[in-house]
Amino acid sequence: MIVEFWGHEFKINIVLGCIGGFLIAIISSMFGFGGGPFVVPLMTVALGLPMYLVVGSSLLAIFFNTLMGTMRHYQFGNFDPVFFLIMFPAAILGGFIGPQIAKRMSPLWVKRVAGIGLVLLALNLLGVY
Amino acid sequence: MQAGKTAVSEAASLPTIKVDKSSLNNGGTITVSGVAPAGKPVYLEVYTERKVRASRFDADIDKETGKRPYILYMTYEMPAYYKIYVPAAMRDELGKIKKEGEKWAYSKALKDLGADIAYSIPAKIKIDKYQATLMGSIIGSRGTPLAAMGKDEDKKRSMQLVKARFRNPDKLLVPTVEVSPDGTYTARVKIDAGSAPGKYTVVAVAGKNLRSQPVTVTNNISFPNVYLSNAGTSLNLFGPFLLTLLIVIFGVLMGAGGGFIMNPLFVSLWPLPHAIVAGTVMPTVLFSQASGIYNYSKIKFISWKLGVSIGLAMVAGGFIGPKLTEMITLSQFKSVFGWILLILAALMFWQTTPGYIAKNKKEQALLKEFKKKAEEAAVAKANADANANA
Repeated sequence: MIVEFWGHEFKINIVLGCIGGFLIAIISSMFGFGGGPFVVPLMTVALGLPMYLVVGSSLLAIFFNTLMGTMRHYQFGNFDPVFFLIMFPAAILGGFIGPQIAKRMSPLWVKRVAGIGLVLLALNLLGVY
Repeated sequence: MQAGKTAVSEAASLPTIKVDKSSLNNGGTITVSGVAPAGKPVYLEVYTERKVRASRFDADIDKETGKRPYILYMTYEMPAYYKIYVPAAMRDELGKIKKEGEKWAYSKALKDLGADIAYSIPAKIKIDKYQATLMGSIIGSRGTPLAAMGKDEDKKRSMQLVKARFRNPDKLLVPTVEVSPDGTYTARVKIDAGSAPGKYTVVAVAGKNLRSQPVTVTNNISFPNVYLSNAGTSLNLFGPFLLTLLIVIFGVLMGAGGGFIMNPLFVSLWPLPHAIVAGTVMPTVLFSQASGIYNYSKIKFISWKLGVSIGLAMVAGGFIGPKLTEMITLSQFKSVFGWILLILAALMFWQTTPGYIAKNKKEQALLKEFKKKAEEAAVAKANADANANA
């Protein structure tokens, strides 16, 4: 498939992209997240697309997954309205504060700290400590 | 005359029960005391009127047929709180059960402790039974509803559902009933903070047909504690609010939504069922994704063709995934999440390697350049439209 973006054309293997997207969507909707951190590498590494094309388009792709996942979880009764009303305003507020802080921080260090944090959380979940 | 006498003597032998307080504020300890026939062990069955959902997917090999049944058991009538208090003398026995780890069986524990005589409320819940099929799971159906089970089968399955819901022996069996040789007993019953509000019923049981009158205690919950009716847990609402705020901010810094950190943290920090957490976190991030898409689309910075193509494949995946959530246990949920996060951490570290940074610098420069062009084009178009309208 050929993707045209701001005057550039990119030839991608859409079958690979769709299989990857399908698998990421199963796992991420099963575990309750959008899948962004996996779809971005799928598009950049596996499909070889540049970052400027991926930032917006990956968001669009995971939106489909999040919408369907939300509906299905709701259908199965896996939704708590009070819990949602607690988290939702916090998420909106965080969405405003986040970008303000992001401007003043080195993304490199954020990623390093995040990486260490994720490893610690992962080991805890796996029962290592 | 004769019959009347028997009835009186039977009534006299039923355990008596009283409690020291009639209301609690977000949990607390009550002392239960009374008199039971001398020489009998005394159990207390404690439960709340609030109901929650519980489900269990049975994929264990059947010992008789050697096949996996793949049956989903589900109820909407599990008490949000259910505990049996056993005589304090059984502490060692209960310790042995705890040592069995995750594989412990509630039915065996009840039998070993003699507590099966007290087990009555969950035995009466309505249980739905579905035969899951591979195809059904793929298209996301719970499966074919199976015929209702008999009373004994219902009781057996209810015990498995109780275990699926409350998980630990500690949450279900407490050895605090002190019984004296003359039959008087006292017990401290602790309703944990975070338990459901409402009426808690306590019944003393000293034998198969020796059940006391029920006594009730009311647990009150006031702001900032709220009860999550679907999750069956009450919690201080500032906890999840602040955690969500922090994670979303952190997520923005990392360039991700944050759902993958929220899920494992919520199930670790609060006694929330994983399916409810997953199903509630997803709509929370939905709106921030939508606003992101709107912002990018305003400056035409989205390839609709690419996004929709992969998005359609993801819709299919998103249809299947939520069905699978209720088939796994909390410990499986946590351990798979452990691996997901390790992969993510590896991706994060890879993005800080010199090779990636060098490549990324070029990419970021290009990104800025394109974005600038896009923004200018959007402004120019707006101006042109304004002029045309004028």
